[in-house]
Amino acid sequence: MGTHGRARHPSPLSRRAFLAGSAATGLALAGCGAPDVAAGRARVRQWNLFGGGDGARLVQMHEQFQDEHPRTALQAYTFAWGAPFYTKLAMSAAGGRAPEVATLHLSRLRGFSPTTLLDPFPRNMLTEAGITEEKFLPDVWRRCLVDGDLYAVPLDTHPFVTYYNTEICAEAGLLDADGRLAPFSGVDGLVDALRAVREVTGQFGASVETTNPWRLWYSLYRQLDGEFFDESGTELILDDDKAVQVLTLMRDLADEGLLPRFADYPACVAMFSNGQAGLSFNGEWEVTTYTTAELPFSMAPFPDVYGSIRTAGDSHTFVLPHQRDRSTEDTRATVEYIAWMLEHSVDWAAGGHIPAYQPVATSDEYLALTPQSEYREVADDVQFDPQAWFSGSGSQMQSEAAAAFAGVTSGDLPPEQAVAQFRAAVLKLLDTPSPV
Amino acid sequence: MAVNVSSTAAGRSGTATARTGSPRTERLAGLWFVLPFLALFAAFMIWPVVSGLWQSFFNVSLAGGEASFLGLDNWTEMIGDAAVWDSLWNTVAFTLMSTPPLVAIALVMALLANRSGWFGWLLRFAYFAPFVLPVAVVTLIWVWMYQPGFGLVNAFLTGIGLPEVGWLNDESVAMLSVVITTTWWTVGFNFLLYLAALQGIPQHLYEAAAVDGASPRQRLWRVTLPMLRRTTGLIVVLQLVASLKIFDQIYLMLDGGPNNSTRPIIQYIYETGFTSYRIGYASAISYMFFAVIILISVAQFRLFSGRKEESQ
Amino acid sequence: MTQVNVAGSRSARNGEPGAGVSSARAARPARGAGPRWSFGSAAVAVGAALLAVVWLIPLAWALSTSLKPEAETTRIPLSLLPSTVTVDAYTSVLSNGDIVRWFWNSTVVSVLVTVLTLVVSVLAAYGFSRTRFPGRSVLFAIVVAGILVPPQVLIVPLFDEMVTLGLVDTYWGIALPQVVAPIMVFILKKFFDGVSRDYEDAARVDGASRLRIVWSVILPMSKPILVAVAIFTFIQAWNNFLWPFIVTTDPQMMTIPVGLANVQGSYGLRYAQVMASAVLGGLPLLVVYALFQRHVIRGVGDAGIKG
Repeated sequence: MGTHGRARHPSPLSRRAFLAGSAATGLALAGCGAPDVAAGRARVRQWNLFGGGDGARLVQMHEQFQDEHPRTALQAYTFAWGAPFYTKLAMSAAGGRAPEVATLHLSRLRGFSPTTLLDPFPRNMLTEAGITEEKFLPDVWRRCLVDGDLYAVPLDTHPFVTYYNTEICAEAGLLDADGRLAPFSGVDGLVDALRAVREVTGQFGASVETTNPWRLWYSLYRQLDGEFFDESGTELILDDDKAVQVLTLMRDLADEGLLPRFADYPACVAMFSNGQAGLSFNGEWEVTTYTTAELPFSMAPFPDVYGSIRTAGDSHTFVLPHQRDRSTEDTRATVEYIAWMLEHSVDWAAGGHIPAYQPVATSDEYLALTPQSEYREVADDVQFDPQAWFSGSGSQMQSEAAAAFAGVTSGDLPPEQAVAQFRAAVLKLLDTPSPV
Repeated sequence: MAVNVSSTAAGRSGTATARTGSPRTERLAGLWFVLPFLALFAAFMIWPVVSGLWQSFFNVSLAGGEASFLGLDNWTEMIGDAAVWDSLWNTVAFTLMSTPPLVAIALVMALLANRSGWFGWLLRFAYFAPFVLPVAVVTLIWVWMYQPGFGLVNAFLTGIGLPEVGWLNDESVAMLSVVITTTWWTVGFNFLLYLAALQGIPQHLYEAAAVDGASPRQRLWRVTLPMLRRTTGLIVVLQLVASLKIFDQIYLMLDGGPNNSTRPIIQYIYETGFTSYRIGYASAISYMFFAVIILISVAQFRLFSGRKEESQ
Repeated sequence: MTQVNVAGSRSARNGEPGAGVSSARAARPARGAGPRWSFGSAAVAVGAALLAVVWLIPLAWALSTSLKPEAETTRIPLSLLPSTVTVDAYTSVLSNGDIVRWFWNSTVVSVLVTVLTLVVSVLAAYGFSRTRFPGRSVLFAIVVAGILVPPQVLIVPLFDEMVTLGLVDTYWGIALPQVVAPIMVFILKKFFDGVSRDYEDAARVDGASRLRIVWSVILPMSKPILVAVAIFTFIQAWNNFLWPFIVTTDPQMMTIPVGLANVQGSYGLRYAQVMASAVLGGLPLLVVYALFQRHVIRGVGDAGIKG
C-alpha cells in the first residue's frame, strides 16, 4: 500500500498552520491555496518523499529548525515515494502554486524539466548563506547545473552498499582482526564469501531485492565499464554481452541458493533482519531499521566484483519548484532553511546517507558515526542512472528494468531474453518524443 | 440516456406554449437566464472537449514549452501501444465482472427490503449506507479487511479451514477483490432504483394474481419480475457506463497493480498525462476512450429504447 | 396539483405520487404495495437480515478496529471487539489537524458546488422551459448532448485549462467544473415543463418580473425536486475523488476523499488510526443518511435515475 496514497508526517507545525489557515479561508476563497496569515513570517512549505526512519529523522530536524527560527513558518509534507510524489510535484509546479522547496533525486533533475518546472537558485542568496561550489564534490555539483544555472542543492549521496551481520560473518570467518568485513573481490571472492555465509545461515548468503534488481545490476554493469547512452544521450549503446554477463552471475548465484530467487523489498529487509541472510546488498537507508531492531550488524562498500568499487547510487537534493509569484522573502527563508539542513546534515547522515556538504562529510562528528561512515569513500564512485527524461530513481526505465530482470533470478527468463526485453523497452522509450 | 423514462409523469399539465408577441427585449430576456449556465458549460465542458481534441495532434507537455504539430503521430502511437489496449481491456474486464453482481444483488435486496416499518428502515439503511461513503473510506476499510493474517476476510477463510487468498497481491484475484469492494460500495444505488420500481407496480396486479390463486412464488415470477424488466434494462445501461469509468478504487487499493494487471484506462491516461507529462498523447487516449463510451452509450440507448417500444 | 412538501414528511406517505417523478415512491414504505407472503416470510426476513449484517460488517469492523489499542489490531487470533475501548486513535488523528482541514475544504467545496449548481441550473432550466430566444432549441440540444460527456475523459485538458486560468489548488478550481451538470438542467427543465402556468400568468398580470416569478412562484412549487437535486449534488460533490485529486496538489487544499488517500502511508501500519480516519471521514454523510433516509433515498433516486 505504501505505493499509492500520499503520506504526511504528523507535525505540530501543520496544526499551527491549520489554525491560522482556517481563520482566513473565507477571505481567501477566491485566492491562493493555503493562505499564510502569519503576517510577517516567511513561509516555507517543504514537500518530500521520506518515509520510515528518514521521515522520522526529518521531522526531528524540522522541529529543531522551527524552534530556532520562529520567524519562519515551516510546513512539511511527506508524499508516497516515487511516481506519486513526482507526479504531484510536477503538477503543482505546472499549476504555479508549488511549495517553496521540495526534495528531488538528482538523477531525476533533467527529466523533471528544470527550466520550466523549477526555479533556479539565486546564487547571491546561496553565497550569503554559505552554500558555495567548493563545499561539494565536483561531479555532484556539476550535475546540479542546467544551462549554467543551479537548479538543485545536494543534501546527500546514497550508494548501494553491503550490510553484514557481524555475528554470522564472524562465524563464517569473514571478519578481519578489527571485526570489520575483510574486503573480498572478484567473482570468486564474492562466491566464496556467500558460500561461507550460507554455511552459517543455512539459507541464503546475501539478501537482495530480486523484484527490482536495477541497483545490483547497474552496479555490476558499471564495474564492467558498461555504457548506456551515447554522448548525446539519444542513442542506446547498451553492451549486451556485459549486460548478460551480469544477469548470468545473478542467476547462477540464485540457482546455487546464495541469493533468494524471489524477494520483494520488504522481504529483502526481512531476510537480513531475521538472519536468513548474513549479508544484504541494498541502499544504505535501512541502517535505522536494523539499529532499532538491535541487530548485530555493520556496513561496508559494495564489493569490487569486476575490478572497481563502482556502485549504483543517487543523491537527494533540494529544489525550488516553479512558482508564478515567487516571494523574495520566502525564498530567502527557504535558502536559509536549506543551509541549515546542510549544516546539520550529520543528523541526516545518521540515517545512512553520506553528507554532500563537505564541511560535514569531513567533520569528526560524521567520521565518528559507525557504521554510517564506513563506506563514505565510495561517494566519488557512485554511479548515477543514465541520463534521459525517463530514467532515474522511481522512473519508468527502472520499472522496465525491474519487469525484465525480475524473471532472471526466479529462473523464468534466460538472461539473454531479459536483456532483449529491456533493450526493446528502452528503445521504445527513446522513440517516444520527449515531453521535456 | 434513460432520460425519458421518468419524465413522462412530469408532462402532466401539458406543455405550455410560449407567449407570443412579446417585445424583443422580453424575448432576449431568456438568454440571461441560460447565460450563467452556458458560460460555465462552455468554459468547463465545451472548451476542454475541443482543446483536448486539438491537443491530441500536438506534443503538448505538462512541463510547458512550445508544442509542435504532430499530425496523427499520437494516434498511430496509440494503436501500437500495448499499454493502451491492456488497460482498456482491464476496464472492460472490470465492467463485465462488476455489472452482473451489481444488478442481481440489487434486485435481491430490493425484493427483500420492500417492506415497511422499522425492519424495512433498517434493511434500507444497511443496503444503502456504503453508497454515501467517500471512496477513500471504502478503500481504507477494504484494504484493511483484505490483509493477510490479521485481515478479517482471510481470518474468516482460515477460520473455516480454507487457505488464505492474496486479495491484493495475487494477479489472478486482484480484480475480483475490486469487484467485491465495488459491489459492496455501490450496489445500494441500483437497489434504490429497483425499490422505486417495485413500489410502482400496481397493486391490482397482485390482487388479480391472488384471486387466480397464485402462490407468492408464482406472483414473484409472473408479476414482479416481468414488471421489472424495463427497470433492469435501465439499470444495466447505467451500470455499464458507470463501470467503464472505473479509476478511484483500483488506483487507491492497488495502484493498478500487481504488475499493472488491474490498471484501468483512466489511470493510464493519468500516468501518461501527469507522470510522464505527455498531455498531447494522453488527450489522444482520452478521445479514443471517449469514443468507446459514446459508442456503447448510443448502442445501449438504441437497444434499450427499441426494447421499450416493443414492450409497449 | 402542487405538493409543496412531498419530501418534507408524512404527506409523502399518503399515497400521492411525488410531484411527477416516478421514483418518488421510493421514499414511501411499501405498505401493502408488495406481495404479502403467506408462507416463507420468516425465511425471507432472516435472509434479508443476514444480508444486512454482511453489508454492515465492514463498517462495524472499521469501528471496532478504530477503538482498539494499536497493539491489538494485528494480534492473531483476531478479537472481534476491542478488549479495552480507547479513543487514542481518534485523538491522534484529530490532533494532527489535517482531517479537520479536509473537512473544512470538503464543506466549502460541496456547499459551493450545490448552491451554484442549483442557481445556474434553475435559471437555465427556467430559461429553456419558459422563454423563447433565438437559438434556444439548438442550445438546449447541445446541453443535452453534454449529458453524454463523461467528466473522466476531460481530466487532462481540464487540468491544462486550470493551469492557464491559475485555478490549480483553489476552491474555485475544484468546484467550477463540478457545477456544470447538464443532467440537472435537463431534469429541472422537464419538471418546469410540467408545472402549470396559471400562477405564473397571474403573477405576471400583477407585474412581477421574471426573476421575481422564479423566486416566489416556481421555486416554492419545485421544492421536492430541488431538494432532490441538492441532496444528490451535495453527495456527489462530497464524495468526488478524481477531479479534486487532479486539481489539488497542496495537502492543505485537499478534500476529505483526497486527503484520506494520504492516510495509509503516513500512519504506516497503525491500523487503529487508519480506521479512525476512515470512520471520521465516513461519519458525516452516514449520520445525515441515518437521520434523513427518506430524503436521501428520494434525492438520489430522483436525480440519480436520470444521471
